[in-house]
Amino acid sequence: MARVYVTGMGVVSPVGIGRAAFWEALTQGTSGVAEVTLFDTKGMDRNLACEVKGFRPRDFLTAAEARHVGRCSAMSLAAAREAVSHAGLRPEQLAGERTAVILGTTMGEANILGELESAWIHAGTDAVPTAKITRYGTTLLPIHVARAFGTRGMVQTLPAACAAGNYAIGFAADQIRAGRADVAITGASEIIEKLEFAGFLRLGAMTPDVVRPFDRDRRGLLLGEGSGILILESEEHVVRRGATPLCEVGGYGLACDAHHITRPHPEGEGSAHAMRQAIESSRITADQVDFINAHGTGTQANDPIEARVIKDIFGGRRVPVSSNKSVLGHCMGAASAIEAVACVETILSGIYPPTMNLEQQDPECDVEVVANEARRGDARVVLNNALAFGGYDAVLALAKLGVLPADTGAA
Amino acid sequence: MKALAVTGLGVVSPIGIGHAAFAEALRDAETARDRAFAGQPTVLDAEKVPGARAAEVRDFEPADYLGSKGLRNFDRLTKMMIVAAKLALEDAGIKKDGQFVGSAAPKVGICSSTAYGSLDAITELNLVAELEDPRYINPARFPNTVINAAAGYVSIWEDLRAPNVTVVDGNCGALDAVLACDTHLLHRRGDVFLVGGGEALSEPLYLAFRKLGIVAEGDDTLGSHLGEGAAYLVVERREEAEARGVPVRALLAGYGTAFEPPLSPAVLVHASADSVRRAVRAALDDAGISPGDVDAVCCAAGGIDLIDREESAGLAAVLGTDVAVAAPKLVYGESFGASGALGMATALAWIDGAPVAPLVSGSAPGQVRTVVVTAVGFYGNVSAVVLRAV
Repeated sequence: MARVYVTGMGVVSPVGIGRAAFWEALTQGTSGVAEVTLFDTKGMDRNLACEVKGFRPRDFLTAAEARHVGRCSAMSLAAAREAVSHAGLRPEQLAGERTAVILGTTMGEANILGELESAWIHAGTDAVPTAKITRYGTTLLPIHVARAFGTRGMVQTLPAACAAGNYAIGFAADQIRAGRADVAITGASEIIEKLEFAGFLRLGAMTPDVVRPFDRDRRGLLLGEGSGILILESEEHVVRRGATPLCEVGGYGLACDAHHITRPHPEGEGSAHAMRQAIESSRITADQVDFINAHGTGTQANDPIEARVIKDIFGGRRVPVSSNKSVLGHCMGAASAIEAVACVETILSGIYPPTMNLEQQDPECDVEVVANEARRGDARVVLNNALAFGGYDAVLALAKLGVLPADTGAA
Repeated sequence: MKALAVTGLGVVSPIGIGHAAFAEALRDAETARDRAFAGQPTVLDAEKVPGARAAEVRDFEPADYLGSKGLRNFDRLTKMMIVAAKLALEDAGIKKDGQFVGSAAPKVGICSSTAYGSLDAITELNLVAELEDPRYINPARFPNTVINAAAGYVSIWEDLRAPNVTVVDGNCGALDAVLACDTHLLHRRGDVFLVGGGEALSEPLYLAFRKLGIVAEGDDTLGSHLGEGAAYLVVERREEAEARGVPVRALLAGYGTAFEPPLSPAVLVHASADSVRRAVRAALDDAGISPGDVDAVCCAAGGIDLIDREESAGLAAVLGTDVAVAAPKLVYGESFGASGALGMATALAWIDGAPVAPLVSGSAPGQVRTVVVTAVGFYGNVSAVVLRAV
């Protein structure tokens, strides 16, 4: 079965807009945490998040696009434009029926819905701006991207909460392998919205200061936002246009815990199953995995279960693990897409970005954490791990060129 | 795609709960429609939304199906989806009395669509956050605001551990769930999938569409007739269904989708005949059939002329004008993310002998063996599915 390659990437993140700024900050461990500016947090006794700073839609969007889109689609478009340009795809190579746009998210254009509801609640239906109603719709994320590039193939939105990036990227690779598309613009996007902020606060999941994945004193997550977009292409398309791929997309694994709507399964059953599937469907063995970009939310519930799953699968071998969320916060639906961009950078550079704020590792999280400083190492096969509300588990494998056997991802 | 077996169906709809009641109601479309749209829907406050006209799932008592325990924090969408899923799994003989049948339970997953998710849950929390204090929102209800939560609850309730996929493609989502199912079955990420979706009528949804001026009210015949519901098909690889020894109700034989941007970048809401043509053509090709094989089309027409006329033109471009095209949304309403699921349920009823109605073009066929179901989004996307008799 044909190989699928990553040929371009774009990112809008809490620590930088654009690949270069993002990767520099991530490897330096520069924190994206700051006081919330998007809405008033008065009385909420938390006021920190990892917002995308200095994002001006008009730097990336046409005037017509800017009128139609919410913040989430705006970030998707900005990241998609960078990714397409990075891939060196000319407009005519992208336009048409053979390009798919498959994006993930948790809540999509949540700020538009928030504005509509706020107007309605405070001033009634008459106060609701009619034109804004049609701008709300989670389905609009890929639609806006498809419009921008003149693609006429499939447009799909997979709202898989905090695993949405892996869901979308894996599914996009499936569609290319099945011959339903030659190119896919894929990834995920999310914005921070007041209701989500209040919700995570009420769940008791939000730290008052910094995110400490795998630390004994971890106190929860901070919300982040942004967009991570990858361009995937079939081997044939890459060869035909003479492009140089960045890396190969391996297999992926999906499972559902069917246990609890917000908490992971206590033994990480679904997560382990998804990770094994990602390895097996890549036609490799666990000992070929060099690095894991962890989900690592910094919550009490997540980190020990994730560590346990990794130990179960890798046995005595201490494969290096790192969480980007100490730097980026938890970008929810966008998290595993932005982290997929980081995985590709790791493959290209051989650098594992650090897990910051780790002072005393929790013995319950007994994995080899890349603590506080970036590290160099092999990066032939990298796993991107994600878990999500709904009991979702999704693991994506990405690999250096020439590492995976030819029939990767085959049915 | 390689044809997949449909081995079960669960329906929660404004014209009946359970696939038998649903199919029975379709035998007399006019009466079913009059009942579905009669009176003020109970989910819409008569004082705030006087004269509302929508097809509601009436007399819906989730506890009758699920028992009374554990339902407290579920919203309407979640409850409709769980009931439809439960009915579907029992219909397919995968579960009985809430338990998996047999010692080697198949790995069951779900590919589920919704367009607007739990809008009433979001509104409920926003009301507290905006009028009282964000600190007072109910944390047990917060997860419902996440679009995939309802499908997540289905997996928890029914113990479904194969992939749980939510698809949000506006009106096309439930047909796009067929693509997700086909993909995951092909890669053996599960043995059986529930395929369909749900959408719940709610005050904010109704008011938003009314504000757009596209809701048919009073005796209007033009405009969208809003509805709600949930439906799932049970779909599995054909050889395994046959090995399991269950009756195969029909085959899911083909899927196609297309997107067409508007002519002007200033336009947001639009439809195009060309994307309808391409999606239907692709679905026929995928099923390996020709236009002449199609006996009936379960179309997406819901009363919005801007959309409906493009669909008609696109269908005619592929299938000609003689084929029977019926618009069952005029009977049970426009249910967005659930509409493709109710459309597929309708196609199954037609294959089982229910009349193809209400016709918008062509003449009623004798026997129905091959049905194309279409879905047309508000933003230029179209999907189509082919269902065939075994």
